[in-house]
Amino acid sequence: MGLCIAAQSFAADAVKLRLMTAVYSDQNGGALKRPEGVACDEKSLLVVADTGNGRILLYTVSGEKVMPKGTISLPQLSYPIRVQIDPGGEILALDGKSRRIARVTSAGEFKGYVEPSGIPTPGTVIPRSFKVDGQGNIYLLDIFSGRVLVLDSSGKYQREVPFPQKYGGFSDLAVDGNGIVYLLDSVEGKVFSAQRNATAFTPLSGSLKEDLDFPVSIASDSRGRLFLSDQNGSGIVILGPDGSFRGRQSDFGWKDGLLRYPSALAVTEGGNLFIADRQNSRVQVFTIVQ
Amino acid sequence: MKSRYKIVLLLLGVTTLFAASLALSQDKFRLKPGANGKICLNCHTAFQEKMKLPFIHTPVKKGQCSDCHNPHTSSHGKLLAENASRICLKCHDGIVPGKARSVHKAAADGECVKCHDPHAAKYRNNLLLAGKELCFNCHKDIAKAIAESKFRHKPVEQGCLGCHTPHASTGADSLLKTGVPSLCTNCHKADTPSFKRQHMNYPVAGSRCTSCHDPHGSSQGGMLWANVHSPVAKKMCGQCHLDASSADALKVKRPGFELCRGCHADMVNETFGRNQIHWPLVDKVSCQNCHNPHASRQDGLLKDSMKTLCNSCHRDTARRQVASLTKHKPIQEGQCTKCHRPHSSSNVFLLDNTNTINVCNTCHAGMQHSTHPIGDNVIDPRNRNLSVDCLSCHRSHGSEYKFFTYLNPKIDLCVQCHVEYKR
Repeated sequence: MGLCIAAQSFAADAVKLRLMTAVYSDQNGGALKRPEGVACDEKSLLVVADTGNGRILLYTVSGEKVMPKGTISLPQLSYPIRVQIDPGGEILALDGKSRRIARVTSAGEFKGYVEPSGIPTPGTVIPRSFKVDGQGNIYLLDIFSGRVLVLDSSGKYQREVPFPQKYGGFSDLAVDGNGIVYLLDSVEGKVFSAQRNATAFTPLSGSLKEDLDFPVSIASDSRGRLFLSDQNGSGIVILGPDGSFRGRQSDFGWKDGLLRYPSALAVTEGGNLFIADRQNSRVQVFTIVQ
Repeated sequence: MKSRYKIVLLLLGVTTLFAASLALSQDKFRLKPGANGKICLNCHTAFQEKMKLPFIHTPVKKGQCSDCHNPHTSSHGKLLAENASRICLKCHDGIVPGKARSVHKAAADGECVKCHDPHAAKYRNNLLLAGKELCFNCHKDIAKAIAESKFRHKPVEQGCLGCHTPHASTGADSLLKTGVPSLCTNCHKADTPSFKRQHMNYPVAGSRCTSCHDPHGSSQGGMLWANVHSPVAKKMCGQCHLDASSADALKVKRPGFELCRGCHADMVNETFGRNQIHWPLVDKVSCQNCHNPHASRQDGLLKDSMKTLCNSCHRDTARRQVASLTKHKPIQEGQCTKCHRPHSSSNVFLLDNTNTINVCNTCHAGMQHSTHPIGDNVIDPRNRNLSVDCLSCHRSHGSEYKFFTYLNPKIDLCVQCHVEYKR
């Protein structure tokens, strides 16, 4: 009886990804080149950091279609690697070369850089990645000072959570609807978490190295599940809210549905998963199927 | 009274059983009277000479050959009564403590005979050779380095066991008797004026001595490692550290790469001028993720060999190469910088060149693949956003197929594009 329940429970949690579409070009038919960042809001706006071309691309997601909407090219964003959309519809993009976060409107107007202010222990801040929550707060993975900085939308310091004592190397973070912050350790293949207002990170998962190679991006969905982009393993790994391994999707390859050294991924409330399929120079859109 | 009687009876029973089993084990092969210790030598006559050596293994001395050998049959070589890697542990159990921090590989593998003769030897503890000569039999690289050193650590001249334990260490890495620095400060008293003077009055008594000094010997003054960071060589500790008299003297003046930028400004600026940075360079540990700021045996003050160093984070890449059917020479030899730039690059994968074909042609110039079209103008039929290059077919860090192709070339690889030939 116990075994039956467990099997049913696992079946209920099983997640599969069904390819919806693959995005290859901008509104002029120009090819994407090694995109590294991707973000999507609930209002159907898809933003892609077209890293190799040094620009931001905008798309509209409608049903199973993704239609090009616009291009943003700015001297302040010569090498965008991570993008986010804030609740007001503005785009925040981390530039890999300057390692600064630029704020731009969806019309392409540069509004300035996110300048952290009011930090109690001032020092150099180097963001490796960042995320924006539903209130517009910015969660910044500051690898130079070994902490996650929480800033309000204007960049004003709210709080910080130091990195755990032992780790390999963090490359991304995620924030869920409950304010739980997740840290992704690429080197050790581990996920750490900190509850809302916690002052320290604790391990959420053990080492996942048997199930992935070198994860570089993490996103959470409304069910508390975590999606990891395994760059060197070319796949997507799904974890349960407790950090347990729930499955692995996609594989290495060129054809639609397959991945080559994927970078950032994003998940929407509507159940779509967007992934920057970097070495295939495209963005792929999957539907999360239960 | 009744219970005391029971205890006496029980003790008597146990003693009788023990005595009986001892007698049985000593004569389990029912040798003729007086044959014990002699009968084997009737055939193994060469052993007579062995028995003249000064140090004889106790069972051999007692003629108890059957303690280790079965005279009739065995499932193990040399008619041993137990697997060769475990037989010594029958008597010498505990030679490797359960909580050992470091274990001699030979001991861990049960290869006791690499150092000991199980029967008799010229040297104490049945050792095959005396002193450091025995160790140098395997540790040839250390022997060579010591022989070439201008300055040799005196205890090394006297033997390795001044600092190391031969089997296992419960307290330290590298089979050291105790950890560093306490092992070193046993002889090199940190409170002496000369010690303080040599270390520019910095409170280094608690620091790891081997981060600067080669404990075996060196041709550098002060037995520093072969490659010394210029400020260390010039004894200009204050260039990076706070003043020796300050409360936190070992603290560095600036965090991370900001400290190194003071002298290495050109390199740091050049690094930051490229699109992609190797992220560890700008994290909390920064340059010291890969470099030793004081001295190193490696060129470029690397903390370890490039292979070990890069693989410490990129373990999956290392595994891929190990499992690969065809080895890629630069990876096999740990020459990661043949293709990658370790600090930063404007190219994907931190490659040394924008064009993958050019990266490969650095070594494979003779293999221009003249029969197969490659290059920017050749669109990959599988993906219209890609052109065909070396990585279209080859996985540079290895695969399960010959010449590290992604897929089986006889079945799956070519027909990815040449679909008309798909069977």
